[in-house]
Amino acid sequence: MTAIPPTGRTLPSAEGGPAGPGDGPRRGRLGRASFDSVSFFVVFLGVPLVLFLVFVIWPFVQAAFYALTDWSGFSAEFNVVGLDNFAALVQDPRFVNAVGNSVMFGIFIPFFTIAIALVFAILITVGGSGRGQVRGVRGSGFYRVVSLFPYVIPGIAVGIMWRLIFDPSNGLVNGVLTWLGLDRFESFAWLGNVGTAMPVTMFVVVWGFVGFYMLLFIAAIKGVPSETYEAARIDGAGRVRMSWSITLPLIRDNVQTAYIYIGIIALDLFVYVQALNPQGGPDNSTLVMSQQLFRTAFTEGKFGYASAMGVAMAIVTLLFAALVFTVNRLAGGRDDRGRR
Amino acid sequence: MTSNFTTPPSNPTSPPTRRSVLRAVMYTAAAVPLGLPLAACATGGGSNEGEESASPTGNADPKNPFGMTENTTVDAVIFDGGYGVDYVEFAGEVLAGLHAGSSVKVSPSTQIATELQPRFVGGNPPDLVDNSGAQSIGFNTILDQLEDLTDVIDAPNVEGTTIRDTLYEGVLAPGTYGDKFAALNYVLTVYGVWYSASLFEQNGWTPPTTWEEAKALGAEAKEAGKYLFLWGTEAATYYQTLAIESAIKEGGDEVRLALENLEADCWSNDALQATFTIMKEIVDLGYFKPGGSGTQFTAAQAQWSNKQEALLYPSGSWIENEMKDQTAPDFQMKGVPSFSVTSGAAMAPTALHSTAGEPFIVPSQAKSVAGGKELLRVMLSKESATNFSKTKLAPTIVKDIVPADGFGSTALVSQTDMLSAAGGDIFTFNFVNTYGMNPEQLPIWNSFLDGKKSVEDLTSELQAITDRIREDDTIEKIEVS
Repeated sequence: MTAIPPTGRTLPSAEGGPAGPGDGPRRGRLGRASFDSVSFFVVFLGVPLVLFLVFVIWPFVQAAFYALTDWSGFSAEFNVVGLDNFAALVQDPRFVNAVGNSVMFGIFIPFFTIAIALVFAILITVGGSGRGQVRGVRGSGFYRVVSLFPYVIPGIAVGIMWRLIFDPSNGLVNGVLTWLGLDRFESFAWLGNVGTAMPVTMFVVVWGFVGFYMLLFIAAIKGVPSETYEAARIDGAGRVRMSWSITLPLIRDNVQTAYIYIGIIALDLFVYVQALNPQGGPDNSTLVMSQQLFRTAFTEGKFGYASAMGVAMAIVTLLFAALVFTVNRLAGGRDDRGRR
Repeated sequence: MTSNFTTPPSNPTSPPTRRSVLRAVMYTAAAVPLGLPLAACATGGGSNEGEESASPTGNADPKNPFGMTENTTVDAVIFDGGYGVDYVEFAGEVLAGLHAGSSVKVSPSTQIATELQPRFVGGNPPDLVDNSGAQSIGFNTILDQLEDLTDVIDAPNVEGTTIRDTLYEGVLAPGTYGDKFAALNYVLTVYGVWYSASLFEQNGWTPPTTWEEAKALGAEAKEAGKYLFLWGTEAATYYQTLAIESAIKEGGDEVRLALENLEADCWSNDALQATFTIMKEIVDLGYFKPGGSGTQFTAAQAQWSNKQEALLYPSGSWIENEMKDQTAPDFQMKGVPSFSVTSGAAMAPTALHSTAGEPFIVPSQAKSVAGGKELLRVMLSKESATNFSKTKLAPTIVKDIVPADGFGSTALVSQTDMLSAAGGDIFTFNFVNTYGMNPEQLPIWNSFLDGKKSVEDLTSELQAITDRIREDDTIEKIEVS
């Protein structure tokens, strides 16, 4: 506040300027709206709000409305059919199967991504030598850069690349396995067997995201004062004990946020499954909601029904977020014992 | 500097320019919510405006039968698939030569449905569309927005002959929905089983005509370290097409009609079951190259056409052009009609599955309906059709175009040979495309060819798809006879 010119202090606030610090009671700010304060709100609140309403909320409203119609998507005509689409949805074995697959992805992808990212983040920040200053393993700077590489590659490229790597006849994986003498992997279709297609898909997605979430956790761990670790070390805590009892509770909020982010990605997953198994995988075992939605809209020409699927997807995603919050709270997330 | 916001201006009589800037921003922000919702609403811009009368009124100029106005730019969106788009560009240049001042703008697309959906809703679709490919628009959704193309067929072509008289028999059927001829399918497709004539000659093999012969050939292939068949995951249903063809040849028209009209137990028909059973035997004998369910389909096809790891591949006649760059030198691709099951089949061994493909449509709301039709008329001229067959090595629906040497293509010669050998024994079926069943059938066929499904599983799961569509009243059925 030293920058305030002396003349400014001499003007009475009643002349229209917003109250400066110490210029009487706080509620005076709301009472007297000057051009400056109004323009401030318009630019920093109004414009973003308008953009949000037009480009986020309005499409949501539209989709919710079309979910109640039989719109084909290719003409301007439709009839409102009420909740018929939703009634059909719960009885549609294809969509129920897709929801099941999406839920499997939603459970396992966040879990493995976060578990692996956490382990790496801990190794890189506090997993190093047990003597002297708390630090990461040797060469941690190098690992930190390298592990971000997969995240830089676009999802579709990741999918296509891994599809070639898992190619039964010419792929790298089977090439290595048969070279090692495992003959049963000659022409083994990793993406074509019910037992392996989903795990392989999960692996590819996890591979793509671990680096980014590792960086996120590194930043969070860097925020933990090193005295805490030093104190724990003096008390005789090993690396595992420190990770479990110090690191994890202190970055709990970051883990929760990451869990919800990856969960949303895993419940969508369109790009990855479309690249790896565009036809839905063996016995539709990797068909996800977004793929079924796309098919219904553009191949079958049922945009109303597809919109209903979109609404259902949004509900599943919200339920997932609510579940993560609840689990975190039940596990003591709002309990302040472990917090700074 | 943050203090600027909390400090009143020292001289109120001359407001800083920042104010006028902010005011402009404010007005703009206030205007946004008023203007945008209608524009943003997908169906808001209805088609209330009066349309120009599309049909020509008594203008019988043989050089311009549809009355295309001068200086028209015809807007054509063409599926950029196995045949590319340059054949339409060629016709566009011909059109520009015939009508000085007019031209054709060809836009390639591989995503017809997603790209054109907003244009159909907005009432400004292109003048001509090649509605083809995996992302094509389902015909039952846009049928009432399409022009009837009968007047194109009845118009004289560029050389002066009535177009109808220059076409093969039955090529208008696949584009006719009810009594509306809504789509002109330009390319004649012949379905069969394809092989390398040079490879067969070297090994003294003959292409099979029955499934038993195919099985015997599989044993010989195995001795030579090769497989009989292979497949790719997105194209597993090529074997469904083959099986249906064999069954129709075995059991006759009743098999075809039962499938087309989604009848109960249509997949349990004896002829189909016999075909499935012998296919299953071949699968169990290991004559299929394993791993197809995880192989991208063009990669799999290259294992047949380039590496020659398998002898036979069932497909449509687009296969030669599709694999042009990945075919072994001196491959000499030839085809045989799909195999018969027994010698007592209802149809002759030469009976052939052939139909016209690449459906071209003219939307009624297009800016220049006449221009779209005129471009079609030019494409059906002798010059354009010859250009297509020559560059794409595939026949169009225009007959008497392909010379005896097939422009140097063994596959093209083989197609014309098969067509003439079949005579009137030509059949086709559409139910898979009409009802969009392919995505659902693919996983089933992948598992069957992998050896993981029995004939009973295959039958019941295919039947379940047919039954679901038959029972779903929201899906419009097309009666086939």
